[in-house]
Amino acid sequence: MLTRIIVCLDVRAGRVVKGTRFEQLRDIGDPAELANRYETEGADEIVFLDISASLEERATLLDSVRRSAEQLFIPLTVGGGIRSVDDTARALRAGADKVSINTAAVAQPTLLAECAERFGSQCVVASIDARCTADDRHWRVWTHGGTVRTERDAIEWARECVDRGAGEILLTSIDRDGARTGYDLELTHAVASAVPVPVIASGGAGSAHHVRDVLVSGGASAALVAGIVHDGVTSVREIKELLDRERIPVRKVA
Amino acid sequence: MRVTILDYGAGNLHSLAKALDDGSSRVRVEADPVAALDGDVLVLPGVGAFGHAASHLAPARDALRAAIFGGLPCVGICLGMQLLFDESEEGAGAGLGVIEGRVTRVRARRVPHMGWAAIEDASDSTFERAPLDVAYYANGFACRPSRADVVRAWSIHEDDRFPAMVREGSAVGVQFHPEKSSRAGVAFLRALMAEACA
Repeated sequence: MLTRIIVCLDVRAGRVVKGTRFEQLRDIGDPAELANRYETEGADEIVFLDISASLEERATLLDSVRRSAEQLFIPLTVGGGIRSVDDTARALRAGADKVSINTAAVAQPTLLAECAERFGSQCVVASIDARCTADDRHWRVWTHGGTVRTERDAIEWARECVDRGAGEILLTSIDRDGARTGYDLELTHAVASAVPVPVIASGGAGSAHHVRDVLVSGGASAALVAGIVHDGVTSVREIKELLDRERIPVRKVA
Repeated sequence: MRVTILDYGAGNLHSLAKALDDGSSRVRVEADPVAALDGDVLVLPGVGAFGHAASHLAPARDALRAAIFGGLPCVGICLGMQLLFDESEEGAGAGLGVIEGRVTRVRARRVPHMGWAAIEDASDSTFERAPLDVAYYANGFACRPSRADVVRAWSIHEDDRFPAMVREGSAVGVQFHPEKSSRAGVAFLRALMAEACA
């Protein structure tokens, strides 16, 4: 299996935006156009993360998915706001290949199994936001965009998600998110060793070397990148060239 | 060419429809399996779970088998390929039984077999028309044909080796998703369709 580079686009009200959470959001383009551009650059998959603040904005996400599916020929995952089997059905109907489920899975763990049974495990991604505070000394699961602490242990929860039917784990380190100091290798390695499904590492990428590190030392099957490629710090092509030079198996860019 | 995608009601058919539309084909999505037989080529898409899809096909199983054995070109993708076989460990119900064999879980530590992987030992002529050496896979199960001569390409995941492509009579199946394998995948899919109807 080749390692994957997955580009994440934050989508709100039909536009790709960038910024820290809900402050100072800056418009950086059309979801379908950007997704296409990243496919050309060599991205192996695209994730649309819905960061809508209202139901009206949310409705426009599926339009973006529909328009993207017309011209995108790599897998597309939709995350953010998936709360039910019906939400999943709608996202897939619109043209998503997978959904990622976060807060709703913690609130109602049977949702993962219901989606897997109906649509297959291959389209169910369990998204886990983890944080290790000084008091905790181990990684806990946080929900609601990383704002609400739960009592769940992140590694145990990852195992449970897989038992319940998740086909992949999208693992985000809240502390590293946006920091560009590198992925949390220890967290990624702990989860990747604990579950039999692919783990997508997220949060902390500041360079192509960080991506290499999480694939090699972290044991991740895939790395999620966002800010560094949107800002041009590096590109999907550069990351893949580095991986290829170091003999890490990647899909080569034409 | 009139292409019909059979919709078992479980997922994304947009990019498949778009990938199949080369400008000269008419692509239609049809939920009724009997009505789906009215076309030049039948596509069994690769979304959903085996049990769910098999129960959707059950009422039309005999009609589908008769049409395919009668020469209707049929292209199965991922789950669609698996539905060409007799049965699956993934779920209850009968496959179409067009190709003899079973579908069993991929034998590996990391399952599903998810992501981009090589296509090995390709012997089908479609690969000459549209080269494809790496493709996107998303399967937890794999086809185990009774006869090795139906296999036209292979995949390897850890210690398991399973068919990436099978062909028998007018039926062809691919375990990978050509419609998700970027431009080379789309070109492969179109070549496959052109060949199916030639």
